[in-house]
Amino acid sequence: MTQREVVVIGGGPAGLAASIEAARLGAKVLVVDENKRPGGQLFKQIHKFFGSRAHNAGIRGIDIGRQLLKDTEECGVEVWLNSAAIGVFSDNRVAVLRDGRTEIVQAQKILMCTGGSENALRFPGWTLPGVMGAGAAQTMINVNRVLPGKRVLMVGSGNVGVIVAYQLLQAGADVVGIVEGMPRIGAYGVHAAKVRRAGVPFFLGHTIVQAIGDDHVRQAIIGEFKDGQVVPNTEKIVDVDVICVAVGLRPLTELAWMAGVKHDFIPEMGGWMPLHNENMETSMPGVYVAGDIAGVEEANTAMDEGRLAGVAIAQSLGRIGNDEAEAKKQEIRDRLAALRMGPFGERRQAAKQRIVERGVN
Amino acid sequence: MSILQNGFPSLEEIRAANGWPSEERFAKGPVAIAECVQEIPCNPCEAACPMHAIQVGNPITNNPHINESLCTGCGMCVAACSGLAIFVVDKSYSDTLGKVSFPFEYLPLPEKGDEVDALDRSGSFVCKGVVTRVLNPARNDHTPVVTIEIPKEHVDEVRTIRRLNAAEPAVFTPVPDAEYIDDDVIVCRCEEVTAGQVRKAVREYAGESVTSIKRRVRCGMGLCQGKTCGKLVTRIIQEETGKKASEIPPATDRPPVRPVTFGALATAGKGEDDNG
Repeated sequence: MTQREVVVIGGGPAGLAASIEAARLGAKVLVVDENKRPGGQLFKQIHKFFGSRAHNAGIRGIDIGRQLLKDTEECGVEVWLNSAAIGVFSDNRVAVLRDGRTEIVQAQKILMCTGGSENALRFPGWTLPGVMGAGAAQTMINVNRVLPGKRVLMVGSGNVGVIVAYQLLQAGADVVGIVEGMPRIGAYGVHAAKVRRAGVPFFLGHTIVQAIGDDHVRQAIIGEFKDGQVVPNTEKIVDVDVICVAVGLRPLTELAWMAGVKHDFIPEMGGWMPLHNENMETSMPGVYVAGDIAGVEEANTAMDEGRLAGVAIAQSLGRIGNDEAEAKKQEIRDRLAALRMGPFGERRQAAKQRIVERGVN
Repeated sequence: MSILQNGFPSLEEIRAANGWPSEERFAKGPVAIAECVQEIPCNPCEAACPMHAIQVGNPITNNPHINESLCTGCGMCVAACSGLAIFVVDKSYSDTLGKVSFPFEYLPLPEKGDEVDALDRSGSFVCKGVVTRVLNPARNDHTPVVTIEIPKEHVDEVRTIRRLNAAEPAVFTPVPDAEYIDDDVIVCRCEEVTAGQVRKAVREYAGESVTSIKRRVRCGMGLCQGKTCGKLVTRIIQEETGKKASEIPPATDRPPVRPVTFGALATAGKGEDDNG
């Protein structure tokens, strides 16, 4: 069996930030990532990030990703790419599918940074080619440089829907509209204002009714949406060749369930998620979570949660004194609290508070 | 609030959140206007201003305020704003014309001298304008700043130009007789299970958990292991039983969470620390 001090599952913003932090404090860290390149979703975030200017604000996600990779390399973190963690077993053993073999890695500490997964939406025609998650469309345009279509309907007005709509415009597509079931726009106003002044209409209190097409989607029907129902005789049809679905994400929790971690349903954070304490440690000693698996938020909160877990892990391994560790962790927690202020963050801040107060035992 | 319903802030919202330059200040020359009316955690504009005219302070969710007497209208903040929500307005340009500078992250870029369609915050056409400057130095990090001259009376409303390759707005046609059969909609793509089959399983077998439905109709047993359909099945159980999502646990997860060949499994346990 392969032994490693710390195994981080997932090399996205949370996993890399945690690895860098733990490695700088002297821990021996292995990151396993199923993709051919680490960085998670950062490399498709071509917009400038919000946040504090002291911590990457104003920098494009793709450039933050490059910096994380450089730091990861410089501080001696071991990275296995094309390596999927396919199971977690007793005694902190992780099964990793790598080069056509299954390797069992035993870790002293496991940090799960598996991220989130886009929610699907059921409507007639949703399985037609051309109907896709907004994240998938974003990967196509920003990573693979392929335009999925020319006329896009976006379903969902949260930050993902509105940011991807903007980036589809930048990639040369037209966005015929953004449909939102709620009576208000979900995204940050500045994101909404960007697409609005570019001429994209919002259809609030509307939903997608049907996708119509043959070999791919050719038209979309939308309609007014009230009390969970489409209002009869309000349907409208529009020509499109892509329908993007951006109706939220949920934590990717399979490995955490498998590890026996206690979960709960936290609606503000995307539903079922592993509970954790103020050090990001779960109910299973030595198993930590950070990033979207610990509640769907944003890349900058994911990175800071990763750093928090990284320090906590180094502390539990005795690589850093308690006083120094507590000071470092407090600094990160203060930053997280600042990122979760304001009308958009306060629900998440309250949910995180509830999670930590509930405890993991 | 206008920003939540219309997708752009009203002048009242901007005045209340960020302030608005006085007419005396406008008369003196170009001045920056922040249109960032929600409390979001962001402050790069504060550091971008060489004159220290922009204040966010602590906490970083404060709305930015621009001190009109310190601001020189240099425009450094326009490209630095992650939300593309700062503009420079010049009402002193001539007796009849004013200028507006705005971030413009679309290709192709306009060129100096081009006649362009000037649009307001809602993307509606306001008037014709002429491009007087396109700035895209390396420090802007791929956020070009375009300046146009337009009739002076429109400088408070114009905030961008029509993208040079924009198509005509889409047409939405009423279809009052739209009909579809939800029962035929596929829920589990891997195993080709329809909403009707899932609904029947919920009704006939009192299937009130994702796992019990999975056992009956195989949704979630395919390649993706329920990653896509899990939520959709939960939704149908909710529709049929009136339960909350929090009362419906997800299906049990078991290894392997990715498709694995027998060959790969056969090597399990042999690690790099083992001899031979």
